[in-house]
Amino acid sequence: MEQLLIKLGQYMFVIFGLLAVGGAGVLIFSKSAVHSVIGFLFSMICVAGCFLSLQAEFLGVAQLLVYAGGIVVLFLFVVMLVELTKYQEKGIFQTQTKFAIPLVGLGLLAFAGVFRTALFGASTNEALTLQPGLVGATENLGNAQAVSRGLFANFILPFEILSVILLVALVGAIVLAKSERV
Amino acid sequence: MVSMNAVLLISFLLWSVGVAGVLIRRNALVILMCVELMLNAANLNFIAFARLSGTVHGQAFALLVMGFAAAEVAVGLALVVALYRKKGNIQVDEINLLKG
Repeated sequence: MEQLLIKLGQYMFVIFGLLAVGGAGVLIFSKSAVHSVIGFLFSMICVAGCFLSLQAEFLGVAQLLVYAGGIVVLFLFVVMLVELTKYQEKGIFQTQTKFAIPLVGLGLLAFAGVFRTALFGASTNEALTLQPGLVGATENLGNAQAVSRGLFANFILPFEILSVILLVALVGAIVLAKSERV
Repeated sequence: MVSMNAVLLISFLLWSVGVAGVLIRRNALVILMCVELMLNAANLNFIAFARLSGTVHGQAFALLVMGFAAAEVAVGLALVVALYRKKGNIQVDEINLLKG
């Protein structure tokens, strides 16, 4: 049992990643928009788990807060506002899909050799091994402190631009979504 | 300890599912969600490379990407609502106002 738990901890990233891909599959293949949103929520929670298993604790929690707490609720509100049921009978996929699927299969076949060497090749595994910890974390800093130092020391201009863009997006969303009569 | 190749492969899979959703679905809401999925795949790469290099720059930039994704989804959903008001549906192949 203990061995199993240790193995599970080692492969936590892969498990969460595959679950996220599964949620994404539910997202694109389900007929109902609400089911799509639920698949999206599941996928985002699993991506947060991936972040946690990559030692990005602050980003994992931020991912949970922003996506599961904010964006999914926003999507659910729009699903509630927009009536989708009367167009369901025309099919959920574009008409070109039946030509696209064989093409994608061909592309995957072309990439199969790349996947095989990337995953099971002998020389590639040593070149890309992850560092055991962050540089900032060695001075007994927590992950959130390290990220904030990195953010405010090196990315202060993008941070300020992001705040302006969020303000513009806020005003733009209100202008776009309000009715024309008012 | 997870290898970098697994991270890159999972990120690639998430991104390609997102691209497939954008290309084959007709519903504008699902297309927006797939764009979010692609941004998350990019974030996964940022964090993995931050871990590979041992610095926090990738994590800080992933935080910025998350903020941009929130702004994008707000504007996108406002566009969807405005489109629904104007046309009565949000199926992207029915919207051909600029078609000659």
